[in-house]
Amino acid sequence: MRPFEYSSATSTTAASRAAGADASARFIAGGTTLLDLMKLNVETPGRLIDINALAVNEPAMTAITETAGGGLRIGALVRNSDLAWSPVIQARFPVLSEALLAGASGQIRNMATVGGNLMQRTRCYYFRDTAMPCNKREPGTGCAAIEGHNRIHAVLGTSSRCIATSPGDMPVAMAALDAVVRVRSVRGERTIPLVNFHVTPGAHPERETVLQAGELIVGVDLPAMPWARRSHYRKVRDRASYAFALASAAVALDVAAGRVRNVRIALGGVGTKPWRSPAAERALVGQPATAAAFRAAAELALQGAVPHRDNAFKIELAKRTLVRALTTVAGMA
Amino acid sequence: MLATVSRVDVGMPAPDFVLSDAEGQSRSLSDLRGQPVVLAFLPPGWDPVQAEQLSHFNALVAQVPGVDAELLGISMDGHWCRLDFGGDELRVPVLADRDPSGDVRARYGITEPQAILLVDADGIVRWRHAGAMNATPRAEALVAALTALAPPSPEVADLSPEAIERNRGVAPCMQEAAGAPFTIMTTRREFVTSALAAALALAVVPLAATAEPLADRLAARSPGGAVAPVPVSLRVNGERLSLLLEPRVTLLDALREYAGLTGTKKGCDHGQCGACTVHVNGRRQLSCLTLAVMHEGHDITTIEGLAQGETLAPMQAAFIEHDGFQCGYCTAGQIMSATALLHEPCGPADDDVRECMSGNICRCGAYPGIVAAIQDVRRRA
Repeated sequence: MRPFEYSSATSTTAASRAAGADASARFIAGGTTLLDLMKLNVETPGRLIDINALAVNEPAMTAITETAGGGLRIGALVRNSDLAWSPVIQARFPVLSEALLAGASGQIRNMATVGGNLMQRTRCYYFRDTAMPCNKREPGTGCAAIEGHNRIHAVLGTSSRCIATSPGDMPVAMAALDAVVRVRSVRGERTIPLVNFHVTPGAHPERETVLQAGELIVGVDLPAMPWARRSHYRKVRDRASYAFALASAAVALDVAAGRVRNVRIALGGVGTKPWRSPAAERALVGQPATAAAFRAAAELALQGAVPHRDNAFKIELAKRTLVRALTTVAGMA
Repeated sequence: MLATVSRVDVGMPAPDFVLSDAEGQSRSLSDLRGQPVVLAFLPPGWDPVQAEQLSHFNALVAQVPGVDAELLGISMDGHWCRLDFGGDELRVPVLADRDPSGDVRARYGITEPQAILLVDADGIVRWRHAGAMNATPRAEALVAALTALAPPSPEVADLSPEAIERNRGVAPCMQEAAGAPFTIMTTRREFVTSALAAALALAVVPLAATAEPLADRLAARSPGGAVAPVPVSLRVNGERLSLLLEPRVTLLDALREYAGLTGTKKGCDHGQCGACTVHVNGRRQLSCLTLAVMHEGHDITTIEGLAQGETLAPMQAAFIEHDGFQCGYCTAGQIMSATALLHEPCGPADDDVRECMSGNICRCGAYPGIVAAIQDVRRRA
């Protein structure tokens, strides 16, 4: 690990100012992604700004609170395990609790934070290996995955420069729930819909979010969605637990008199970002809540998917995962 | 089967023993209870009264922030090591065992050619250094240990002529008899004792290897420029631990390499195996994926902190009873994870336990025993 300067910030303003003044700075909260990558010399920050102590002066950073509109406001420093076990999350947004508990391990969930989870980086083998070319890690060096081993790679949102999969579970559930990311800097605060927070690789795989220099994630808002009580996260992976998704589906489904009144669909493990499927949602509304309709929606969700040598199986796997998730929720009382 | 000889480590009570010196005078460790004692396991022929010892000691002291003291002489008198601070003389008991196959060594589980242990006034091992004859002790680790044992405070630092005059004649062994207040002298005495322990450890390697200043050593180790070590204060297993660490030192490395708590294991060092699991403020975390400097003031519990004296914690006993391990490398992490699990909303079934324990990998495949041990403890709770 390269040496770095370390400081602990006591306010979001101070943290943002320190980060804005040093292009090599990174915020650190749980550290579970960042330190892993620093040990590999994939991340080489010159300065770490520890934001854990912010919660002392700014308790909203670790709080889950009701908003005026009936939604929830989640602080960026809420740990994954606390969010997953929060009774209000379990009752109103089960898909989010399930997604969190399907990710990582008990130890890591005690460390990882909401803000950090949104910044989690890909598990692409070539990105993590500094002996290999990687446009994301070193722009312009090429992509070793496109012609290489790409079983875990993305089929949606890829480009000729990068096919790295977005690895998270929590962001997939949040994408389905119309979540809004709140970010703060010395210039003030702004909000970004989660589906616009991450960007597809295009010509610049090194750029993964719309965050600007010095901007710090301070929280995520979940708007009121009473029918999201009937929601579910289904994750398929190589082993039963503690593995990244090959395919996952986050769904919320509102059925009245046998017909779909409202639905939210997002996919994980298959996209270069948390993959919301508006086309599949539009197609399902008004349809009978049947396996056939779910399958038709799944076909739409994976329309345009581009397979590579080893990952074509993900297209069918993602469809079946989505159908299973929708069927499960349709069967809920 | 468990190994029958276990190592006496930091935080553990020092087993009692009797040593005789050249004049046939005997001294047991328990006779010296109430004051810090240096236990030195040294190669035959080692001489504590070498001239370079003074340089070692003074060079070391110079690196401890806030302490200004110059040692002018060291001499041995039976089991007592006399330290001359220019008018003030302190005596520290040093029990030196130079028998490489001695049974005191065996009782302390010392397999290395040389080892230095510092036992505190309550008979608890507070610092342990062991290594090969020619292994260079890490100066920064020694300084960190010194800082941990005797935090520099005005009392500690005060070896001014006035303070020395004030304390004149109050040698450690006499102080107790006089019933004088312990605060000042105990603190300074502990500092001197621990400093001596470090000096003894340094004395068994050539002077040249340890003469360069600490900052130069750190700079030499840091490609791309040094970052100064920062003081970090943790509470580890209930004891305050003050260390001087580079920011990039992980909590795992701080525990293993700086505090000498090697019960916590380094497996993958990337958060994939769970061997390094410890409790931070009561919750299980991976010590390899967090920096020590991020845990200022936090309560850390390691595997060394679970047992109550000689009594194993229920989870430790259950792992033995149910054969929850084979090679043992993952076991500390498994037990720390399992212990924390008891306070988490984990479902009742075996499969729930498997899911909750999925972050702890066992290469030997001792999973059936691990699940059985956890379920056994949960049933009894």
